[in-house]
Amino acid sequence: MRIPEQIQRLAIVTAVIIGGVLLVRFVLIPRSLISDDLHRASTVQRELAKPIKFAGSTACQDCHEDVSSRVRKGYHKNLSCEGCHGPEARHAENPMEVKPFAPRDRKFCPLCHGYDPSRPTGFPQINPTAHNPIKPCITCHNPHDPVPLTAPQECSACHAQIQRTKAVSSHALLQCTTCHSVPAQHKKTPRSAWPSKPDTRAFCGGCHGKEATPKDAPKIDMSTHGGRFLCWQCHYPHLPEGRG
Amino acid sequence: MNPERIQDLFDLLGQVTGYIYPNEIEIHWSILVVVYPYVTGLVAGAFILASLVKVFKVKEVEPTYRLALLTALAFLLVAPLPLLLHLSQPMRSFEIFLTPNLTSAMAMFGFVYAWYLMAVLLLELWFEYRRDLVVLGKESTFPMSWIYRALSLFSTDVSDRAVAFDLKAIRMITIIGIPSAFLLHGYVGFIFGSVKANPWWSSVLMPIVFLMSAIVSGIALVVFLYMVLTSIRNQPIDMRCLDTIVSYLFYAVIVDFSLEALDFIHRLYQSEESVKILGTLITNKLFMSLFVLQILLGMIIPLGILVVARSRTFNDDMRKLLYFTSVILIQVGIFSTRWNVVIGGQLFSKSFRGLMAYKMEVMGIEGLLAALALLILPFVILTVFIRLLPTERMEDHVARTA
Repeated sequence: MRIPEQIQRLAIVTAVIIGGVLLVRFVLIPRSLISDDLHRASTVQRELAKPIKFAGSTACQDCHEDVSSRVRKGYHKNLSCEGCHGPEARHAENPMEVKPFAPRDRKFCPLCHGYDPSRPTGFPQINPTAHNPIKPCITCHNPHDPVPLTAPQECSACHAQIQRTKAVSSHALLQCTTCHSVPAQHKKTPRSAWPSKPDTRAFCGGCHGKEATPKDAPKIDMSTHGGRFLCWQCHYPHLPEGRG
Repeated sequence: MNPERIQDLFDLLGQVTGYIYPNEIEIHWSILVVVYPYVTGLVAGAFILASLVKVFKVKEVEPTYRLALLTALAFLLVAPLPLLLHLSQPMRSFEIFLTPNLTSAMAMFGFVYAWYLMAVLLLELWFEYRRDLVVLGKESTFPMSWIYRALSLFSTDVSDRAVAFDLKAIRMITIIGIPSAFLLHGYVGFIFGSVKANPWWSSVLMPIVFLMSAIVSGIALVVFLYMVLTSIRNQPIDMRCLDTIVSYLFYAVIVDFSLEALDFIHRLYQSEESVKILGTLITNKLFMSLFVLQILLGMIIPLGILVVARSRTFNDDMRKLLYFTSVILIQVGIFSTRWNVVIGGQLFSKSFRGLMAYKMEVMGIEGLLAALALLILPFVILTVFIRLLPTERMEDHVARTA
């Protein structure tokens, strides 16, 4: 039986499409892009072929034992030497001729310690334009064992973000210590002694309950308002009833 | 994120009610994701109408057969564009094609789309137009003659036997095409229906509701286009055809309405933990788009118009007017349906205790203008198709004008 003309035409088109797809899939596209192994595994080879620039912190410790033992005890214990000093493989190979880089001006430290609201609460942050302008950081702080010269007097020294938020809220006039009790140790080593936080509904009720004394505070009926939820599950105490 | 976008999100804070999680302020699926199911729905609906002629042998609908197929193709070509624009980095979609994920429901769109475009719609159109293309290739002058010849794949056989084979092939393809069209749009509903974490979407009825509303919108669109096209060409409207299509539209609207009502009552009776926030959502944020646009303007009023048009004897012009009004209202209603599903599903917090707001961009890549352009584009493509390809079989045309 003769094959209808239509089928012949369509068969050619279909064959061209299938052939095109097979050509692209198996010839034109790099194998690593579509392999079932680790996606684009060939990039590992590409990276391995690049020259090594970092010496690694063990290489630093071998010669600079005194500095590295001091760093290990201080707040910068989790930083790697080359994080500040830059890649030093060439220095490790040839210590006398290639001298390592050291950031000594004011530009470098604020990369981590300039104020940024997204940084974790309590992370030491300063405003570089207001904090001892012009002086290089290293005149007061030793980067290998950084400590504040004096213990902070105000909570806002570390908790700037909370302080700024609270300052525009209806709780602006309350002291931090109204709600938190702060052990003296917290100012020296913040993570070894935590300040307290209110943990009951009754605490907020002390001002906002129906029978509470402060006249200005909004009053609610503690027995019916909010059901089983704790106050701070709906109201952020540092910005209560915030309006953006 | 760019500062302007952040500022926009700040503006939205004022419209948030109750308690929401911090990362819920930004609505990620924008108006383009509303346009996408709307457009694919039109494709599926138009194709189902076309299949009435070939599979179910409804001869009255014949005059709209080719128009319905061309409409389906024009809209199908535009269907992936909203998704590509929504990617923000459209070029990255290339990676998806290279490394197809066979277990991802979203990746299935690529396969379903490719199957529907290549194996169903283009094939059916080719068989349907082949004879006319051969004739047009011979009759027209250069360069059109070459375009027609290329479109016919340089076919030459117009014998009765070959034409009979075409008709047989079309019937076969349409039979495969109906489940494919169901798959194309049912799949979109499936994506939404299988989002377990979202009680507004998560429902097994979702694919079926999507499908029925797709059939409604597709049929309504073809009726609209048929009426516009005949008036532009100064041709008389085949009222027997129009009455038949509208009667199918009428039944489809009733089924669609019943399914949506069933879904609604089912949710109300089940009364899961989300029912309270969904109640607030529909009476608050979605009141206009759900109750007024979707249910009243898009469903009850056109249904009333169709009931009146069918139960009383009006003259042709009055019926045309009633039909035309109802198909436009139905389009508004179905677009609102898509809006309420896509945007509505993102307006309540996963905490079930707060509502967000959606602020549409105007100029951006996911803005109002981009959405309008995507809705206009299929009509432009369709105009080119209609200029190029006759919407009436040439034999019929000759018979009618003689």
